[in-house]
Amino acid sequence: MAKRILRVDMTKLEANFENFPADFAALGGRALTSTIVAKEVDPLCHPLGASNKLVFAPGLVTGTKAPTSGRISVGGKSPLTGGIKEANAGTTFAQKLGRMRIAAIVVEGKHEEDDYYLLKVTNDGTEFIKANKWSNKGLYDVYKELYKEFGDKVSISGVGIAAEIRGAASGICFNDPEGLPSRYAGRGGLGAVMASKGLKFIVVDETGAPGVEILNEEAFNMGVKKLTNALTSHDVTKPGGALNSYGTCVLVNIINEAGGLPQRNFSSGQDDRSEKVSGEVKAEEIKKRGGVRPHFCSPGCVIQCSEVWTKPGGKDPVGVLEFESVWALGPNCSIYDLDVIGELNRTCNDLGLDTIEAGDLLGVAMEGGLLEFGDGKGALKMLNEIKNKTPTGRILANGTAFTAQAFGVTRVPVVKGQGLPAYDPRAIKGIGVTYATTPQGADHTAGYAIATEIMGVGGTADPKDTNKSDLSRNLQLATAAIDAAGYCLFIAFAILDIPEGLEGVVDTLNGVLGASLTVNDVAGYGQQIIDTERAFNKAAGFTEKDDRLPEFFLKEPLPPHNEVFNVSDEELDKVWGT
Amino acid sequence: MTILVKIFGDLRKKIEGYNISDALPLNLQIESNGIDTIADILNKFSIEKEETYHLFVNGTYSGYNKKVKDGDRVGLFPKNMSLLYKWYFERNEDE
Ligand code: SF4
Repeated sequence: MAKRILRVDMTKLEANFENFPADFAALGGRALTSTIVAKEVDPLCHPLGASNKLVFAPGLVTGTKAPTSGRISVGGKSPLTGGIKEANAGTTFAQKLGRMRIAAIVVEGKHEEDDYYLLKVTNDGTEFIKANKWSNKGLYDVYKELYKEFGDKVSISGVGIAAEIRGAASGICFNDPEGLPSRYAGRGGLGAVMASKGLKFIVVDETGAPGVEILNEEAFNMGVKKLTNALTSHDVTKPGGALNSYGTCVLVNIINEAGGLPQRNFSSGQDDRSEKVSGEVKAEEIKKRGGVRPHFCSPGCVIQCSEVWTKPGGKDPVGVLEFESVWALGPNCSIYDLDVIGELNRTCNDLGLDTIEAGDLLGVAMEGGLLEFGDGKGALKMLNEIKNKTPTGRILANGTAFTAQAFGVTRVPVVKGQGLPAYDPRAIKGIGVTYATTPQGADHTAGYAIATEIMGVGGTADPKDTNKSDLSRNLQLATAAIDAAGYCLFIAFAILDIPEGLEGVVDTLNGVLGASLTVNDVAGYGQQIIDTERAFNKAAGFTEKDDRLPEFFLKEPLPPHNEVFNVSDEELDKVWGT
Repeated sequence: MTILVKIFGDLRKKIEGYNISDALPLNLQIESNGIDTIADILNKFSIEKEETYHLFVNGTYSGYNKKVKDGDRVGLFPKNMSLLYKWYFERNEDE
């Protein structure tokens, strides 16, 4: 069986398998979602109209035994940014699509009635099932019901109440290995795009799937070995390493100590109360209360940064509390209590709300006087407004910029309309350049990976210098390539320091594709993805003025370093040479 | 006169007399007498340089020879927490 595309027409309620075009052969994950969106979606269309499309694509090696590669990209035109979007998650859903040789699911059109549908996908067919009875409900209960109905071997993607009201802060939910609705392609409001089409869930059953085709087993196996060696020997990624011991929240203390952890809606970069919500504290707590740690988001991950956070006594499992979520719903709102943050995170997951955007919008709501900073109960009440679909809830569900405008707030931490993640660009300027220039809107994952030296692309940037464009560009190119391959970005920590690790990544790609790529091809591959995305954004009306940080980052010094973001516009424009 | 030394992650296990479940992080006020640089602090606690990676003095990413003085705040992270920051900053050093 060759690779295929599943095209889902929500206007006609038809789904058909198509041949995977030969010229797409080297495309997977983000490379494929962005290529299909750029090719098939009018950049000027309304993101919630019939002309937008939603594309799900597992990475090129996803579904194989390549370690830490269970990732999926979801793409479309974003209702939050108005530009192209790729959101990424780690889930068994991705691995099943890979093994069923479904390179992409393309959802298009728009169901005319008010009904919601569930699409069931098996190895040789599809079925539309009315899903109204699962709407207007929290996803934790709904996922339980769906697993009861479809069996515990399936994987599920879905959207929640935040998407039902077309909130631009709504994400696309995937199951974790326990079946909890906790792994999110959260960013950019793609949940609302899915709901706007009348599609509520996709349930995948891989029975009879042939597995990922591997054209050169020898190259593939060699790559798996090299990458596994790198991941299991590097201090950050190995068993007992920082990610495995403390999860991504290991960054709480690091970034706070560095003075770059935004507090109180980006008004300070350090507050020692943040230490109460650190990775070290969380790991201790999980041990005490009977959650799970370490844990993986998808089988085959050797890093295992994930966990299952619960209430005391092991009750009400939430799933993972990621660094970005803990920061957004915690320190950014002056909340320093893991139980409160856990409950806020569970509520976001339950509503289908992006946790980063939720924390950012709560921060501006607090600044706008809707509630006090530090008021955890009040924050839960606000999220309940979304659940109850009230007018206030509808404002909040549309994200940080919309909320700020509604409540007259001028300190608005967004780029291209998307809320900033957990690193203040005044303290960590290199990340600020990426926030400003990525086609995705403020996104930390857009440039998280890989040093320039080992990329073979030249240009080792002096990190102290405000000349950050080379560094940011190379990070963004490498990241785009990792997203396309289907690897988790956290492999970057190991392949940065261990060259055989990066070779291993390239070997596995060669194995799957029967190609002969080298490490030097990575940057060019990433550049193609970014070029495609930038061309879409340009046609949608974006100019270099959109590649800027909000004014307050340039004017308001951030304690404790009391620095502003001082990278020049010329330097920002040099990233893509405009 | 003292220096505040904050010890994070697995490095806490190196310091005797503390239960790491309660030391989140381990905050120690140490006498500044005889302490001139970060290396001196590491020495005092018998921590090898190779066991550390991120070092901060008052929030500034620093090297082993960075000078420290009364009232400073020093953050020490173990090698297995060497993520992210090193890509964006160069160590601040004296000498
Ligand atoms: S490192 Fe964490 S997020 Fe990445 S694949 Fe493994 S468990 Fe998932």
